[in-house]
Amino acid sequence: MCRTGGVPEPAETGDEASTNAAFTALLEDSAEDLYESAPCGYLSTMMDGTIAKINTTLLDWLGLEREAVVGRKRFTDLLTIGGKLYHETHFAPLLRMQGELRGIALDLRRLDGGRLPVLVSAVVKHGTEGEPLLIRITVFDASDRRAYEQELLRRREEAERARAEADEARRQAEADRARLADALAVLQRSLVPDSLPDVPGLETAVHYHTASPDQLGGDFYDLFPVGGDRWAFFLGDVCGKGPEAASLTSLTRYTLRAAAHHDPDPASALATLNAVLHERYTGGGNPRYCTCIFGIIEPGGEHGRRVVRLASGGHPPALVLRSDGRAEFLPTPGGLLIGVVPGAPIGTVETVLGPGDTVVLYTDGLTEARTGPGRDDLYGEDALHTFATDHAPGTPHEVITALTGLLEKIGDGLDDDTALLALGVPAAPSPLGPATNHIS
Amino acid sequence: MNPLTVRQHDTTTGPVLHVAGDLDFDQAPVLRGRLDQLSLSPGQCLVLDLSGLEFCDSSGITALLAARQHALAAEADVVLAAVPANLLRVLTLVGLDQVFTLRPDSSAAS
Repeated sequence: MCRTGGVPEPAETGDEASTNAAFTALLEDSAEDLYESAPCGYLSTMMDGTIAKINTTLLDWLGLEREAVVGRKRFTDLLTIGGKLYHETHFAPLLRMQGELRGIALDLRRLDGGRLPVLVSAVVKHGTEGEPLLIRITVFDASDRRAYEQELLRRREEAERARAEADEARRQAEADRARLADALAVLQRSLVPDSLPDVPGLETAVHYHTASPDQLGGDFYDLFPVGGDRWAFFLGDVCGKGPEAASLTSLTRYTLRAAAHHDPDPASALATLNAVLHERYTGGGNPRYCTCIFGIIEPGGEHGRRVVRLASGGHPPALVLRSDGRAEFLPTPGGLLIGVVPGAPIGTVETVLGPGDTVVLYTDGLTEARTGPGRDDLYGEDALHTFATDHAPGTPHEVITALTGLLEKIGDGLDDDTALLALGVPAAPSPLGPATNHIS
Repeated sequence: MNPLTVRQHDTTTGPVLHVAGDLDFDQAPVLRGRLDQLSLSPGQCLVLDLSGLEFCDSSGITALLAARQHALAAEADVVLAAVPANLLRVLTLVGLDQVFTLRPDSSAAS
């Protein structure tokens, strides 16, 4: 502390003097005692290692008597076997070469057989002619420090083990995820076909957008022959999402396929589906349903004309782009969600596709896509009609490409899966139109 | 997202559930749960007052159909009252306007 100003009190001088006297008394006492009772071990050896002098502290640490040590033991006799080896190979040669060593870790052997970890420093004392006379050695008890190092080592090993376990767990989780993704991909292919078959005299195109890649889709479509030149196709949307929706999709797809082979009338295929879904779900108090549009397309006149018969249960109307540049919806009024009530009414409609005409089926992921900030700012049927008119006439491939571009523009507004399926009669009398698929 | 609330008041003809907020995938189970607890007697009429409904998706429609199924199982009737325009558009699109009895408001239910 600094004293600033003020007159020193006379008594203070006397106090200081007595304190100094006490210190001096303590220090005078210490030369011998400091050596013997120092907080570290001291020893001096001859150049051959024979111990000439050793302090009480070190003797106490080792449990040895002075008489048994001085002139009788060498420094190496105090070391463990490992310590002896280290002394022979490193300690002694280095000391000879450098004249001193600092902080060497060694283990001393106690009389009771225990070991004492120590840090050793040594210096060679030389005579006036420079000849080495003896070695002075200080020994610090390093038990605590060694224990600390051991603890650090143990912790590091634990951390490394934990990291190895975490790495293994992550590898396992990644393997599981990859296996699950494979399984999902297989299941997804059972819900929608990888590619459409080639249909003679027709061009086809499809696009499937999944709103979230790790979810099994709730939209479905298919195209398959039902004998002769007649082909069946359908597209729909099941309620809900995830595995439950996928199981409903699966039931729907295979029911429709079987029903179409049994009776290729669009309305009766949907009626069969309605009965199956109602029996399986809603009748049991767990309403599940789908919207679906089902069609049969078959030759119907010259120039490759095709008759298309459609049936719909609660599904948005199909769209036709005519070769003359018009676009029109094909409403199927009265059709009800499939699976809600027994004997649900099915809406039907029929049209003829001439050369250059294209019919488009879509799910409400498109018309219900959000185009504004609110949840009710939807793309809507009017906008879709305008879009279709702008793109008529168009081949299935052109129309699907245009609609895919539209979906990409809507981007984040696509909350739902979206499926698009287009069938068209080629404008020019050409042999076979190539089938084109987009799956995203 | 608007939280879904279901408030019930009983009338001489049967319970009226005022359903308000968003009836979507996350919250439809709330209404489904309430319906499971609701006891109906034969001849009663369950009214779902939807005047406070902000949003309804396909899961919400499923919940409405579950309400219908619940009422039918109890030999009771079900009425949707004060259906918002957007929901009415969707119900009409999928043909459910033929399945549900629709009323302009819940007081007219009696």
